[in-house]
Amino acid sequence: MLWLYLHFPHLLLDHVRRSRENQGALAVVDGSGQKVVQACPEAQAQGVKAGMRLKTAISLVPGLGMVRADHHQEARILEDQARWLYRYAAHIVLVPPDGLLAEVGSLQRLYGGLSAVWQTVEQGLNERQLNAWMAIGHTPLAARLIARTGRGECTADKGHILRTLERMSLLSAEFDDKTRIRLQRIGLNTLGEVLALPPNELARRLSPETLAHVQKIQGNRADPKVPWQPLHYFRQQADFVQEIEQSQGLLFPLQRILSELEEDLCWRQQDTDSLLLVLQHRHQEPTRLRVRTSGPEHRAEAFLNLIRLRLDQHPLRAPVISLVLSVKRFLGREATTGQDLLGETQDLNEAWHTLVSRLQARLGDNALRQLSPQADHRPERAWSASEVLRVQNSRLPDYTQLPRRPLWLLKGPQPLTEAPALWFSGPERISGGWWDGQRVHRDYYIAQLASGQLAWVFRDVRDGWFVHGWFG
Amino acid sequence: MSEILSTLMQDARVWQGHRHIQTSQPSEPTGYQVLDNQLGGIGWPRGALSECLLDEPGIGELHLLLPLMQRLSHGGKTVFWLNPPHTPYAPALAREGVNLDQVVLINTEDDGDFLWTLENCLRSPVTGLVMAWPGKLAAREIRRLQLAAEAGSNVCVLFRERRYAEQNSPAALRLELAAGDQQDLRVNVLKRRGSWPGQCCSLAMNHRADLAFREVPCVVQGPWSGRAR
Repeated sequence: MLWLYLHFPHLLLDHVRRSRENQGALAVVDGSGQKVVQACPEAQAQGVKAGMRLKTAISLVPGLGMVRADHHQEARILEDQARWLYRYAAHIVLVPPDGLLAEVGSLQRLYGGLSAVWQTVEQGLNERQLNAWMAIGHTPLAARLIARTGRGECTADKGHILRTLERMSLLSAEFDDKTRIRLQRIGLNTLGEVLALPPNELARRLSPETLAHVQKIQGNRADPKVPWQPLHYFRQQADFVQEIEQSQGLLFPLQRILSELEEDLCWRQQDTDSLLLVLQHRHQEPTRLRVRTSGPEHRAEAFLNLIRLRLDQHPLRAPVISLVLSVKRFLGREATTGQDLLGETQDLNEAWHTLVSRLQARLGDNALRQLSPQADHRPERAWSASEVLRVQNSRLPDYTQLPRRPLWLLKGPQPLTEAPALWFSGPERISGGWWDGQRVHRDYYIAQLASGQLAWVFRDVRDGWFVHGWFG
Repeated sequence: MSEILSTLMQDARVWQGHRHIQTSQPSEPTGYQVLDNQLGGIGWPRGALSECLLDEPGIGELHLLLPLMQRLSHGGKTVFWLNPPHTPYAPALAREGVNLDQVVLINTEDDGDFLWTLENCLRSPVTGLVMAWPGKLAAREIRRLQLAAEAGSNVCVLFRERRYAEQNSPAALRLELAAGDQQDLRVNVLKRRGSWPGQCCSLAMNHRADLAFREVPCVVQGPWSGRAR
């Protein structure tokens, strides 16, 4: 087994930086807000260093952007990284707060050599604008130790790995403080000297735990790791250093997240039709925007257009401090239904979904309606409006047996104000609704008014005359 | 340059009083032979606006478009009804053979949304026909719609009131509709591309309520005169 360890020296910094449009100086501050923990290259160029007091840093760079370190947030960001790494490697272990471990020995044949695996992961890191120190070791612990010293190399040679480990100082070997001090008092300075000690002596003179640690580094003791399993949904978050007040400012980070979504959907070979965008504000309840497409979709551009429309319609209530995009509903991707070679029908289908999604995004879901007849005697209940759906190749029922009805139905019966000029057919008695309390008892006539309009009029039980439709 | 000029002449964009030109613009037959003859065999122009000017519903204005609706909805094209004044009655449309899966009803709240929606529908390749009932339209807005209609190739019919007949409009076809004496629809061509306007014709619309000619004089002395009719 060979293990690849990714150590993210400043993950939070990378995460915040890639959601920013302007690259100003930026620093991560510890929980109490006293010290600088991580500083970006721009800040470093102006003299800000990790470990520096915050006051000193601000006096050096007055416009320093600050992000407070938060363990929950870091754990979540680390999991985001595991999610994309899962596409390349199956056996992944999270090592909080800043490490990922992947078993790569079994991937060599798939990728065609260890260097190909290494390059693939490196490329993935570059695409996501992340900095990580990578190392390969024959045990999980060896890989971790080498990665954290930044001396990782792409090699499967156990001898080479051991030589690198032997040169390592005791501090980097992650012995606990007490053990390290005892080892130093014995006169040992490098890990190699500790490894050379006989195991029995090590356990007796120091402690069994120290022996276990050393044996785990060497690979003489089992170090089982439980593989991480990704949840079946997509979630990405962008945190902002400066609050965003204009919805335009949200589009830049959304663009990156949506292209990751597109990649993720392509990798799953799935589509989705609803996105949940949560905008968090400092002092208010988060805004939840549900963006729906009328059909399965995976293209980032299409999603971005819809979100842009939604944001145009709903201006921000308050400045946004972070946004979360999540997708929980996945649809299987359909094979092209088009029968023709050139795929014209498919194109039309897609254009239909694009148009309807656009209209719904701006006008609201209820603005678009499709009509269908219903089996009821009462005219106002003999039809229904439903959500717009794309129906393909369904056989149409035979509606020619339906009675003659006007093409226009009034939204409610209107009182007849004048005597009709001509009477045609009638009466047609419609009586029903006793079963649900909406009783209707009417005689319908077709009549022409003086203006020449052909009307569908009725007289109800109470002897009132009403117009209910126009023969348009 | 001369090429552009001849294209303008060919498409009947430049109106020439002394000559009738057979235009080659794409169009859809109306389904009424009488009207098609009056329109020089063109019918509803595609990729251009048409206007129907009428005052009251119920004179057969929807039946004028019904043959087109039937044909387009079965040809897989979508028919949009934008802000209709009343509810299009689904059982009647279904009985007339319109494929209701392809009929979409849209209601917008303000004028900005209306124009935006109409423009989007016109530019989409899925649209076959858009029937729209605008409120007030400025000439600039009609011009904008005309450009959107040119971008697509579908039929767009605006239903407006008859008082707009006096105003000029960039629409390619303008029809004034009025009720006739025999429950028919009188169509007055106010404007069409490539020829003189002013043609009048009358379309029989009795079938919209299954009326026969001979029934007409059979006047029922309305129930107004007494209860025992």
